[in-house]
Amino acid sequence: MNNSLKPDPSVIGGVPVAPLAFLPDAAAVFDKRAGRFAFLADHGGNLAPYMRFLADLTALQARLARELPSPVPIPSDRVELARSSRMPPIDRMALATDEGMHATLDRFLAEVAAVEMPEQARLALSAVTASGIADRHWLLENILSDRIPEDSAAPHLFVSAAVQLHLARLAGTLDGAKLVKIRTGTCPTCGGKPATSSVMGQAGIESTRYATCGCCATQWNEVRVVCLCCGSNAAISYRSAESGEATVKAEVCGDCKGWVKILYQVKNASLDPIADDVSSLGLDMLMKDTDFRRGGFNPFIAGY
Amino acid sequence: MNIDLSRRGFLRLAGAGVAATSLGAMGFGGAEAAEQAHVRAFKLATTTETRNTCPYCSVACGIIMYSKGDVKAGETAELLHIEGDADHPTNRGTLCPKGAALKDFVHAPTRLTKPRYRAAGASDFQDITWEEALDKIARAMKDDRDANFIQANEAGVPVNRWTTTGFLAASATTNETAWLTYKTVRSMGIVGFDNQARV
Repeated sequence: MNNSLKPDPSVIGGVPVAPLAFLPDAAAVFDKRAGRFAFLADHGGNLAPYMRFLADLTALQARLARELPSPVPIPSDRVELARSSRMPPIDRMALATDEGMHATLDRFLAEVAAVEMPEQARLALSAVTASGIADRHWLLENILSDRIPEDSAAPHLFVSAAVQLHLARLAGTLDGAKLVKIRTGTCPTCGGKPATSSVMGQAGIESTRYATCGCCATQWNEVRVVCLCCGSNAAISYRSAESGEATVKAEVCGDCKGWVKILYQVKNASLDPIADDVSSLGLDMLMKDTDFRRGGFNPFIAGY
Repeated sequence: MNIDLSRRGFLRLAGAGVAATSLGAMGFGGAEAAEQAHVRAFKLATTTETRNTCPYCSVACGIIMYSKGDVKAGETAELLHIEGDADHPTNRGTLCPKGAALKDFVHAPTRLTKPRYRAAGASDFQDITWEEALDKIARAMKDDRDANFIQANEAGVPVNRWTTTGFLAASATTNETAWLTYKTVRSMGIVGFDNQARV
């Protein structure tokens, strides 16, 4: 029995507090994503061949998430240091030269060769596979800084898939309760940019918004109707193709002229933060003709 | 997304290096072009989500109002939906039945949108300007206060009470508005008073 005289409104029920972050269970995240990509590929549409390729690529990420040896967890003193300085516990810059990261990249490059892909993609894959340590550092540094050079999107796509795999597994070793909010639009686990954000539908967090890290797949809580690029809430509006009730919209900021996709999982629970970012490429195409620039980081659709 | 020019010539593969998008570079340029042709028929529509406070009671629940059209861009907006604001610390997305019916409150044909006046003995309301309305209210308040203001009680202690007029103010006000309302009303001696500052 509660003997405290302090009021506790939570016992009334129905008012749970949304947790700061959900850390990824890598295998489950990639399984679900691969399933969504496969569904979208089977569903047809102009992008079906690319969806099929990404379904296979993501299925490989899921398989390797189970097969690879467990990543070395971040030492607890590093986690504490990051926490006390309000920094993300995963230091992405250090990962470009990390042995575990390179081992994952090696294994991934070896296995992804079995995936069916166009000649151009295979050419890029063989260039990455053949590249030396310095070039691999460069590729990893770019992805770990949420940056994709415009003339080499294809090699970076393969490297980013390996980075997603390693970081999601590494993030999974952390304790979500030890994360701290850093700032709007910054992943509390690795400091990365969001790919998209989703208005959630699950009981307890219904209608709250969680951004999904394009790097480590952590989902973290963000206040709605706030720009994920600059944190302003003064001039937010939403754009979507004129076709009735849209479940994927562009959250546009009139202050910084940036935009990030927002997925209404509360209306369609099947939406995946990465897969449906790719499937809604048409929105990116329409937005590219406006004055606004894309703020979400998704290496599968670089160049928009 | 940041796009920088690469300094690494080695990865600029013949053909692959030319395309600036993932799809083009990976050899899915055909799919990309088909999608591009498909979306050409579509236009972008603007919707807005606006934070506000439920005007019913002093709990002051947060709400999000969904509209079609952007007023800030000079368009006319049409209110489509209102729901509880899940980020608001007071109600965390929940609303009472009255709050949940707010959209109908906004769209109600009987909604009062301008001051109206029914003269003593008349059967109908007539529209009047804010100027006239505020003059009438001020006149009525002044007359009532002059007639019924209590300066001191039976023991001769000054009390400055005005008990014959009451004042009800809205909940969806800022702290500053609530403070000003409180000071204005209380300084006239009004006792019967409720507004957001009570909470």
